[in-house]
Amino acid sequence: MSALERSDESPQVDALAAPVGPAEKEAPSPFVLDVHDFSVDYGVGTQMVTAVRDVNFSLQRSKVLGVAGESGSGKSTLVYAITRLLRAPGVIRSGSAILRVALPDGHGVEEFDLVQADERTLRRVRWSHVSVVLQSALNALNPVLRIRREFDEVLKTHRASMTKTQRRERSVELLRMVGLSEDRLDRFPHELSGGQRQRVMIALALALDPDLVIMDEPTTALDVVTQREIINELNDLRSRFGFAMIFITHDLSLLVELADDIVVMYAGAIVERASALELYDAPRHPYTLGLLNSFPPLHGARQELTGIPGSPPDLAQLPAGCSFSTRCPFVMERCRRESPTLISLDDDHRQVACWLHEPGASATVPVELSQRRRAATSDSDLATAESK
Amino acid sequence: MIARRLALYALTAWVAITVNFLLPRMMPGNPVQTLIGKLQGQVTSQEIRAIRLSFGMGIHQGLFAQYFTYLGQLFRGNLGVSITLGAPVSAILHESVPWTVGLIGLSTLISFALGTLLGAMLGWTRGSRFDALIPTATFFQAIPYFFLGTVMLLIFGSNLHWFPVLGAYSQNVTPGWNWTFIANVIRYGELPLISIVLSSVAGWMLGMRNMMITMVGEDFVLMAVAKGLPRRKVIMHAARNAVLPSIANLSLAIGLVVSGALLVELVFNYPGVGDLLLQAVMNEDYPLIQGIFLVITLTVLAANLIADVVYLALDPRTRTEAAV
Amino acid sequence: MRALRLPRSPKVLLGLCILAFFIVMTVIGPWLAPYNPSSTAFAALLTPSSHHWLGTTSLGQDIFSQLLVGARATMVVALVAGLVATLLSMTIGIAAGYLGGATDDGLSLLSNVFLAIPGLPLLIVIDSYLPVSSRSNEFVIGLIISLTGWAWGARVLRAQTMSLRNRDFVEAARIIGESRTRIMFSEIAPNLLPVLASSLLFTVLYAIGAYVTLAYIGLTSTAVWNWGTMLYWAQANNAPLSNEWYWFVPPGICIALVGTGLALVNFGIDEFINPRLRAGGISARQRRELGLPRRPRLGLTPVLRPRPNRSLASAKLVTK
Repeated sequence: MSALERSDESPQVDALAAPVGPAEKEAPSPFVLDVHDFSVDYGVGTQMVTAVRDVNFSLQRSKVLGVAGESGSGKSTLVYAITRLLRAPGVIRSGSAILRVALPDGHGVEEFDLVQADERTLRRVRWSHVSVVLQSALNALNPVLRIRREFDEVLKTHRASMTKTQRRERSVELLRMVGLSEDRLDRFPHELSGGQRQRVMIALALALDPDLVIMDEPTTALDVVTQREIINELNDLRSRFGFAMIFITHDLSLLVELADDIVVMYAGAIVERASALELYDAPRHPYTLGLLNSFPPLHGARQELTGIPGSPPDLAQLPAGCSFSTRCPFVMERCRRESPTLISLDDDHRQVACWLHEPGASATVPVELSQRRRAATSDSDLATAESK
Repeated sequence: MIARRLALYALTAWVAITVNFLLPRMMPGNPVQTLIGKLQGQVTSQEIRAIRLSFGMGIHQGLFAQYFTYLGQLFRGNLGVSITLGAPVSAILHESVPWTVGLIGLSTLISFALGTLLGAMLGWTRGSRFDALIPTATFFQAIPYFFLGTVMLLIFGSNLHWFPVLGAYSQNVTPGWNWTFIANVIRYGELPLISIVLSSVAGWMLGMRNMMITMVGEDFVLMAVAKGLPRRKVIMHAARNAVLPSIANLSLAIGLVVSGALLVELVFNYPGVGDLLLQAVMNEDYPLIQGIFLVITLTVLAANLIADVVYLALDPRTRTEAAV
Repeated sequence: MRALRLPRSPKVLLGLCILAFFIVMTVIGPWLAPYNPSSTAFAALLTPSSHHWLGTTSLGQDIFSQLLVGARATMVVALVAGLVATLLSMTIGIAAGYLGGATDDGLSLLSNVFLAIPGLPLLIVIDSYLPVSSRSNEFVIGLIISLTGWAWGARVLRAQTMSLRNRDFVEAARIIGESRTRIMFSEIAPNLLPVLASSLLFTVLYAIGAYVTLAYIGLTSTAVWNWGTMLYWAQANNAPLSNEWYWFVPPGICIALVGTGLALVNFGIDEFINPRLRAGGISARQRRELGLPRRPRLGLTPVLRPRPNRSLASAKLVTK
């Protein structure tokens, strides 16, 4: 079953105050995060630019959602705004983001609307239930503190009952989990390699057994080998601890290795969503196809990289109609006039916002967007991806 | 790093000493000769000969030889004899340096601590009503130290009589290590201290505010929020890093603060080096001026060194660089 | 090349207004002065009146005239010192940053030495050896002040130059074979304009302080009227202790105002150089109208929500 399927009790924005309290026991929702009609602006008034528009998605417990797009597509803005970490002049214009976390005693679920939550509630949710890993661990770690202090601080704040020895033991355990030795605890960030720093961040993110971990391009700054290792470790850790993950990247081929489902964003809106395999094998949106052709796959045959012509649009001056129309190789007359909405495709749970796939449309769907992309996918390759 | 800084300060001290040596010998119009002309009849011819000697006149010695003689005397602590006070310069300085180090040292510490604290607060609460402090602070920063001191003296000293004015202690107490005297010194030091702090605090504050705002824009501060830390701890993450450039800039600022504060002594007739410097300047007492300049320079260099050591202790990155 | 476009904040505008006022005063002040500032024709120690706006000195000189005439020497010295010092820091800073190697080592050492020596005491020592004829010459004094005030700017400019050294446009100029002098002054210097401007403001500020201080302790010619000599005479005649505030407060306030103007304009330049210092996009008024919190809070992204009362009120306005 796809994690993208919308839950039936789609929450009403204004009816929810945070925290909502334990949900009814008879029907605990399988979704850890429900984002509904979410829009984010930068600035207000005449200088306002909409960076994220009307985004809906849900994430199931223990699943990985990949968010892909070029820089400026709004993928990071979306995720930072959901966690209320987005800096000024970012403003959430509308929407809700319901977080459902397991209660400590093991039964029942507590609901929070992060959009409505006040500072105290947010502080309670943060790190205990939602943790974040940023692109550059060098910038994310305080340069004047030893690694030990980073762990200590988090544990002290959220696990007040732990003794000093317990905190130390937990820190060592966490470091071991990501393949680092205990002596790293007494180092400063600048004394570690890029890969080690990112592992420290991941260990730190898992310190409190969160329900959801947000990864904002955590491997982009690393070399390919380290990138590979960390992706494998993440897969491994997730199967052990069962946290859900939102993984932001511009590298679609990386997501295919890791994610259950993928949403592709362009100019602040979701243009396609599907399960990772479906998306990889048979992209339906011309932009997704372009993204897939921009990166070599981590596994499999080398292909010619074609990329996408042109550059991401200026959010302040989006073209009329479909915002991708100016760069789209399959652009039609209608695309320049009307903006497509996200529609479900008949065959499966996937959705796409493109006039080519409009039911009953006169247009013929180009062959690249109607078939499996790689007919000659080797079995071993598929097996790797499916083993997740 | 410390070794490099030490070398720099040694070099700076040498430059200051050399400037001291060369200036009277190279100035056009021979000011010392003019001075001696004025002194004729007031002092004995023996004294005049001593002055001439100390400025390299009437000796048939090359510039280099004179220079080494000068350096030699300096290392023996011989700074020459004050023309107007008739005492060795080193003895006179021995009297006044403790007052200056006490007053200016303490006020600089207080002002740095207070400015850093206020600056961190202003940087964190940027956009709040505390921002109204900024134009006021800018204005205070632009007031010359001695002028603010004068105004303080006028308002709180001679009009409101809240503080005793002029001097470092009352005429009625005998100097000594007893509580009456110390309390008296503290009482007399209050107004000059407040004046110096008021003049210098805005600079630290505005600098720290800018650094704090820059730091709040860093990822690790956002991470501190993402970790659900209490606000106090988040602020500490930013402030701990923001204070580093402040300390690194101390070398420039200490010179300025000390320069400004020396004049406050003048306003309050505080018996420190600043007051002495003015008297020396008015009387054209060149040996005394030179001695004071050297002492001030060396003290500022020592303060710089302390700031460097503190910086080293607070920033682990410099330690590693030094080790590599 | 980046043009220096100052953010139009109230702070910067206020600063520019203050500076403009004093520049006008510098230019036309001496002509506006009602009396000869040295003339002792009036009664001594008159309090402010319609004849003598700021009263008279103990010698019966008109204080208001002294203030107007004194503006010129004060500002000229500050400007000369500021310009010369900035020129020095530009040459030394860019040369050190661009040429690197031994040149950089030597020049950096030189600026570090000058930074470590306390400027004012050095100034006092040099000045005390000057013949009286030079002490009354604004240009000589300005030059000496600039000698003690260039080092900080040089250090900042060196760092900025090093960050520009390997940029494409510099590389391109090198490849087409432009001379090093030309690259330094025609390619790099224009890009350092904001830093140069900030450094100029600071040295002017420093120069005013230094000049006024020298004058105050009697190390400039007392025959030249400037705000420092006014304070010198006021102090010498015990004006502060005799409550003759009208004698010593006006020049002090003028000095502080010029300094405030310079610092306020520098706020704008700082915001230009360091974008993080700029206020984040949404003005206080917009925040109020939209019901957003007064200031942005880290980790608490604001949420717009329609406020029914407010929209009703505005709807009424429309129907009227």
